[in-house]
Amino acid sequence: MKLTKQQSDALFLPNFCSLRMVFVVVIIAQLFAFVLTLAPLSQPSDIRWQNLGLISLFVQWCALGSATALCLIRAWLYRFSNTQTAVISYLIMLFVIIIISEGTFWLILRFDMNSQQHWNFLLRNFIVGAIISGPVLRYFYVQHQWRRRIQAESEARLQALQARIRPHFLFNSMNTIASLTRSQPKQAEMAVENLADLFRASLSDARQRFTLKEEQELCQRYLQIELLRLGDERLKINWNIDSLPDNALIPALTLQPLLENAIYHGIELLTEGGTIEINGELNDKQIEISVENPLPTSAATAHQEGSQLAQDNIHERLQTFYTRHAGLSVETQDHHYKVTLTFPYQTEQDEDTDS
Amino acid sequence: MKILIADDELPARSRLRNLIDDLQAGEVVAEASNGQQVLNLCQEDNIDIVLLDIRMPGMDGIETAHHLKKLENAPAVIFTTAYDEYALQAFDAHAIDYLLKPIREERLQEALNKNQRLSQAQYSALEKTSKKAAQHISARVQGGLKLINIDDVIYFHAEHKYVTVYHQAGQVLIEESLKSLQERYQQNFIRVHRNALVAINQLQTLNRSNIGHFTLSLKNSENTLEVSRRHLSSVRKIMKALSV
Repeated sequence: MKLTKQQSDALFLPNFCSLRMVFVVVIIAQLFAFVLTLAPLSQPSDIRWQNLGLISLFVQWCALGSATALCLIRAWLYRFSNTQTAVISYLIMLFVIIIISEGTFWLILRFDMNSQQHWNFLLRNFIVGAIISGPVLRYFYVQHQWRRRIQAESEARLQALQARIRPHFLFNSMNTIASLTRSQPKQAEMAVENLADLFRASLSDARQRFTLKEEQELCQRYLQIELLRLGDERLKINWNIDSLPDNALIPALTLQPLLENAIYHGIELLTEGGTIEINGELNDKQIEISVENPLPTSAATAHQEGSQLAQDNIHERLQTFYTRHAGLSVETQDHHYKVTLTFPYQTEQDEDTDS
Repeated sequence: MKILIADDELPARSRLRNLIDDLQAGEVVAEASNGQQVLNLCQEDNIDIVLLDIRMPGMDGIETAHHLKKLENAPAVIFTTAYDEYALQAFDAHAIDYLLKPIREERLQEALNKNQRLSQAQYSALEKTSKKAAQHISARVQGGLKLINIDDVIYFHAEHKYVTVYHQAGQVLIEESLKSLQERYQQNFIRVHRNALVAINQLQTLNRSNIGHFTLSLKNSENTLEVSRRHLSSVRKIMKALSV
């Protein structure tokens, strides 16, 4: 039975079937074997080394045996609560230790031990196993909780940062549509379709990335609505991103809010309107996209304050997606406002190999 | 009833025109796409009502309303907006009528019937919540309204009942008090005397006369202004900051 991602996340035990986990188990077991070897106080060193071999072998058998058992019943475990899972795995680990101890006795020790020693041997292993297994399970549990919290936090942050349709744009678009319905029904229809596409994109998963081509298409839908409202005399757009690869990925709705800022804080405040310049460059696997707009004489500072929120959000999102090597910078010069995005060139193939 | 529609967006204007036609509420005599045009049109023609969009390039609706008030036959003003949190709060708090876009026919009818004129108190309240101060000073002159961009003002001087605005292209009398001007433009202007408010970027040098009085010379004006003891320290402080 194959587990869905959700089921697998709910289970606090790590996936012991994975190579990485097997490696972790071997390391932990070996460290424990060292502790057991070093623990007895007076012992000649040659015997200690001899013991290390045997103890390691025994402990590794117990550890890997438990891991294998837990790997095999993993699909069955997810239906239980955390406490039930803990009890079951604890019993399984103890059972494996007893089986392996018994096996060791029959294979190696039965000629040297009488029955009293046999029982002592089993009891000792059982107690040591019982003491060690508890904290190990607890460790997995705590680590799982910690990882889930980190994941939830970053998810929540991304959700909060995700671009939303702004009320100013929404109501103005509605008004434009209301007006066009009478005079130019075709254009009103198109505006409704474009608005729906934008909404759908803004409701999508916060982790989603678009290709540059998709993001540009979305931006064009947005600009079509704004063009109906402002007219092509006031709003001119100059796309210059042909040198960018179409398949490059960009976090969804990263470019569109920048255009919205450029219109809201720039073009709309200019009686004559102006041109928004969008330039793209690919340098050494880094993609750079800039959005530049003219500013009215008295509004340079207002623009900066007003666009701050959206820009901070985009910056944070880029950081969450790419950690370093990504960011957003702002320049104001001669009544021109320019925002530049930088992020690594990645494609869908890269994304597949990542996960 | 003569109506003027002011909105920078063509579809918004044509929708209002359609609604007014449907209601047969009056005659739309003109359309404007910014505040400056509204002022010009209202001076040329006797307009009864202006439907005024708040967010317009150049001069916004709130500033336009402020200047409109000074006209002899000031029209009634109905504000329209798609979404403007700050203005809406002020409107609600001071019972100023406004219309939300997309505008409903019934609401428009209601507002047109009210034919509301802003009171001084309502306007001042509106101005306080507005994020930026009016960009122009308006003066009633013969034959209408004269607008002076605040950036062109060198200083304001109070004499008797009036305040004289000294600007790059001359001087003109206005009826506002220095105190309210100072409040509105405190970021760019400084009080140097009971009777004078000066643009900070016009400050040149501070001189001391033989008898211990201080005077100020300005960049774009021949006139020198007296600085009173009360304002001396703040003038010095700002000139020091400027020279650094």
